[in-house]
Formats: sequence, structure tokens, C-alpha cells
Amino acid sequence: MKRQGTGNREQGLGKLAAIAALVVSLCLFARAQDIQFGEKRAPAGKGHVSYAPEVAEVNAGKASVVELRFRVDEGFHVNSHNPSSEMLIPTALKLEPAVGVKVLGEEYPKGMAFKLAGETLDVYQGEFRVRLRVIAPKGPSTLTGGLRYQACDNAACFPPRTVAVSVVVTGK
Amino acid sequence: MRRILIPVVMVVVVALLVWAGVHNLRSRRVAMQQAQQAQVTVQKDSDAMPEGAVTADLKGKAAPGFTLLDLSGKKVSLADYKGKPVVVNFWATYCGPCQLEMPWFQEFTKKYADKDLVVLGIDDEDGVTKEAVAKAAGKLGVTYPILFAEGKVGANYGVGDYLPVTVYVGKDGSVVAQTPGAPSKDEMEANIRKAIGL
Repeated sequence: MKRQGTGNREQGLGKLAAIAALVVSLCLFARAQDIQFGEKRAPAGKGHVSYAPEVAEVNAGKASVVELRFRVDEGFHVNSHNPSSEMLIPTALKLEPAVGVKVLGEEYPKGMAFKLAGETLDVYQGEFRVRLRVIAPKGPSTLTGGLRYQACDNAACFPPRTVAVSVVVTGK
Repeated sequence: MRRILIPVVMVVVVALLVWAGVHNLRSRRVAMQQAQQAQVTVQKDSDAMPEGAVTADLKGKAAPGFTLLDLSGKKVSLADYKGKPVVVNFWATYCGPCQLEMPWFQEFTKKYADKDLVVLGIDDEDGVTKEAVAKAAGKLGVTYPILFAEGKVGANYGVGDYLPVTVYVGKDGSVVAQTPGAPSKDEMEANIRKAIGL
């Protein structure tokens, strides 16, 4: 009887220890997510925009969506695909013709309002995704190209640049 | 053993939860402050200037001479304005902060016209047409001379990839201030007054 009681206590302690370990793990995981976004990305360098290389699986021969993910460095913004002024350079993807995979269209996200002393700009900040509608054959096909953008912080701008894009689309 | 272990585990759990909460709150506050900063101000924060915003410190040195073409194809030299306070502003049509500050320069050319203030805007970008530059200047209401950068003029003035860059030249031809990024209007006027000698 006493031995059984001790066993229950040990079980109870074990559960508590497991809960504590779980809480600790969750806290550490949350902290780790703050430090790094956990994605493999091409380095932004001086360009202030990075691209997360993609591997996409789609249904072969059927129209499918592939997302390309980009991140603008903190403290910077790039014009959206539809900037607020014709003088500003839009963010735009240019893909090379690929063998096998056919790109049906590109869909850019809506920009966010960025106020600049009375002017409201339409920009991307942080992560943004460009969606491609594609039809891919069976097996892997690689789409390559570049995203042209023009980055600024809240006081100055950098010349237009292009970040290389490469996505492997595998038809299943 | 159990009497000690349970409270210890509970204290550890509570401490971790408090720590996670405080950390989360701090992160949110920082993010909120950054968002507010982005929405409210366009003034440069000198501490946040990227490394290499200017490639040469010209303050106290003689302003590098240049002869460039303006929108009408006429040659304009810095030497033409010898003895006058001159603002040399490097800009580009794609640059929002440049477009913000250019009307201020225009306003100050009028305000300090009796002090012979000269503003020269130098468009410094690749692949732009004269028409696009003229259109941008017109849209901004700028009537001071707009010149086209050539050769090493940008490099001589410490201009890298970061625009705008403005250099304020005193009547004696020496640089009194050099500002990468759009300043506040007050800071701009203070530098203009320095160049005038007020």
C-alpha cells in the first residue's frame, strides 16, 4: 500500500517535471523564433531585401499556386507593385522562360500605407509573398529570374536593385 | 523531497511564464515604437545612418569644383557662384525623401534670395531620361538649376548609394555642413543659415 502511494507520488512528480520541461521548451522555442526566423534565406547584404529559396510540389499538369517569399530588412521599405506615384519604381518580378513549367500569372500582395510627412506611400515591409500560377510537368522544373525593387529607409533611398529568384517546381 | 520539489517546479514555471510575458511585452513595445516612428517622422536619425552613407567627410574643406549640364543643356559651374552661399543637393527621381525636401529648398531660395542663396540640384542616377528629370522637377515646383551628375562629381562629394546627400557651401567656398538623408526642415534651414553666415 505504502509502496503504491510512493509510486503515485513519483508518477505525480514525473508529470510535473514533464510539464515544467514542456513549458521550458516552449519558452525557449518562442525565444529562438524571436532571434531567427528559422528560414534559409539568401543574404540581404546591402540590398535590404532577401529571398527564401523555394522548393514547391504541385499537381502535374494542373494549374497550381507557388508562393515566392521575400523579406525587407527591418527599418526599410520597398515600393509595392503599385506605388503611389509614377515617379517611384514598382517592385516587379521578371522570370526567365523555363522549359516545361508554364507561368500563367503573377499576383502581388497589397502594399501597406507608409506616411512620409503628409505623403502616403504604398510599400512592402517585413515579409511579403508573390504568388505565381503555374502549370508544371511531372518531375522537377526550375524557374529563375529576379525581383526588381527600390529600397528606402525613413530618410533616404538606395538605387533600384534586383534580387535573384530560383524556385524548383516539382510536378507529382 | 516532494514538499520541496513541487514548490520549486512551480516557482520555475511561474518565473518562466513571467519572463516570457515580459519579453513578449518588450518586443511588442519596441515594434510599436518602430511602427510609430515609421508613420510619424521622416527625419533622419543620425545613429541609424547606414555605414557608408557618405564616403568622404568634406566639412571644413573646399567644395570640389564641377561643371555640369543643366536641363536646357547649358554648362553650369560651381565657380559661377563664387562668393555666394551654395547648397549642392544630390537627388534621384525614385527617391521619396528627396522629393520631400526639394520643395523646402525651393522655399528657402525665395526666403534667402536677398542673401544670394543658390541651390543646385544634381540628379545622380543611372538610366534616367532628361524628360523624366524635368518632369519630376516640374511636379515638385522646383525652379532652381537642376544639373546632371557626370564623371566623379558624386564621388568627389562623398555620395555613395545613399540619397539624398546635401552639401552646404559657405561664401568662402568651404563646406560648412554635409547631410546624408533628408533632414528636418529646421535642420535644413540651420545649415543654410550657416552657409550664409547668419
